[in-house]
Amino acid sequence: MTRGLVLCGWLTLLRAAEAAPSPEVGRLAAEVRPLGWVAFSARSPRGDWDIYAMRPDGTDVRNLTNAPETEDFYPLFSRDGRQLLYRAMPRGQTVSGNDYGRQGRPMLARANGAEAKPLGEDGALPWATWSPDGRQLLTLQPRGFAIVDLATKQVVRSFPRGGFYQQPTWSPDGRAVVGVSNGFDTGWSIARLELATQRANAVSVADCCTPDWSADGERVVFSRRRPHGGENGGYGWTELWQARPDGAEPQLVYAEAGRHLYGGHVSPDGRFVLFTGNLREDGDPAHQGAPMGLVRLADTPMIAEDADLRRAYPQAKSAPVLVLPAGHEPCWTAAEAPGLSR
Amino acid sequence: MISRHPSAVIGSGLVASGFLLWMAWPFSTPPPFPANLGNVEVVARLTEVPTGAVFERELYHYATILKYEVITCARGKVLPGDIIYVAHYDPWKPRAAAADAKAPGIGGDVRAFVAGDRHHLALAVPLDDHYMGGLVDKYFGRRPALAYWALRTDAD
Repeated sequence: MTRGLVLCGWLTLLRAAEAAPSPEVGRLAAEVRPLGWVAFSARSPRGDWDIYAMRPDGTDVRNLTNAPETEDFYPLFSRDGRQLLYRAMPRGQTVSGNDYGRQGRPMLARANGAEAKPLGEDGALPWATWSPDGRQLLTLQPRGFAIVDLATKQVVRSFPRGGFYQQPTWSPDGRAVVGVSNGFDTGWSIARLELATQRANAVSVADCCTPDWSADGERVVFSRRRPHGGENGGYGWTELWQARPDGAEPQLVYAEAGRHLYGGHVSPDGRFVLFTGNLREDGDPAHQGAPMGLVRLADTPMIAEDADLRRAYPQAKSAPVLVLPAGHEPCWTAAEAPGLSR
Repeated sequence: MISRHPSAVIGSGLVASGFLLWMAWPFSTPPPFPANLGNVEVVARLTEVPTGAVFERELYHYATILKYEVITCARGKVLPGDIIYVAHYDPWKPRAAAADAKAPGIGGDVRAFVAGDRHHLALAVPLDDHYMGGLVDKYFGRRPALAYWALRTDAD
């Protein structure tokens, strides 16, 4: 009896030790906690996808959209953190890992989810991304890019897309866009388009997607599929990388074995990067998704320790990763508006 | 001994010539596609299928660029002998099963892409107007910028 109690006590302690974050992770969590809010899409207890907000350490999670009749996804804070753009479609439809930017209809709300209203019908404003001042949206459709004035809904400028086809993001200075392009030797390249000249350059050409800008516009983060020998059903795994917008200085940010790293998003102060961690190739949108994560950029390049990864990246560091709730496409703002009561 | 009247010889010769001509004729012209199906319609020979241009990939749709030599042109500004580059959507699938929400309106009776085969193609340009997605292009940097989007691909 006594030995049984002791064994139970040990098991409890072991489980607690497993669950408790290491001191390093605890320090990382404490660093990021006061730095604004992160929006992401996740499955609600009712089973539908909603837009949530949390503190960057994963605490204080709150449901911003709370709309059981729709699947809500792809949240984007305006750069001032006051507005929230997302897409919504009838409940039961599955979010597509490659087409989510043109599924459902665009919705606009205050950053805390209040006053949500549709900006158009199904498929309207495809792949919309915020202008630096939050007054315009840049969209991407077969006929090309279009810049739409938010107040009047009028197209103020349009131009050919030159092979760009998904996940565009407007730069913080408004001068360029990065996105996924089929115009640079691989079907899934990251490219940058200068809006003034409409000249495009490759940022990375190794099966890449989900690019985003650092807040100062000096770096682009993106996911990149590493060379593989057919694992993961022939697809291999993706890692988080960064490069200069002209493609110079490509560098690993973070890699794990057996998990895709997508949806990289740099913190507003440029010190941290968020990502979506997918255990399944399609991101598992039909189920629960997988935990998101956060790392310190000063700790990179880094890997989750693994013999094959260590051989591939002998200089990579082993540094703390803050595990966050399950969700997709996190977006970070330094503003406090998402946390305001409605 | 069989006597040969000159007219019989000439007649036989004409029949034989006609037969040979029929055999040698490049399958004449297939029944035309509807006039609004794309802006180019050709019969063309698939010159090659480069290594890695066609592969099965269920989760990521893609189009692949294939190279053709034009044999006849029914519509559009293409001449016999021209080399054209054609994007086929999800080329590992039979054409009749390839259409989906991302590439509606494509089809045909070709089941697989085999080098040397002749195809009756309804094509559309520019490619960007018709397709937004991953593109496998084994001719990158070695072909003209113009590529066609295959709407219909029948065996000829």
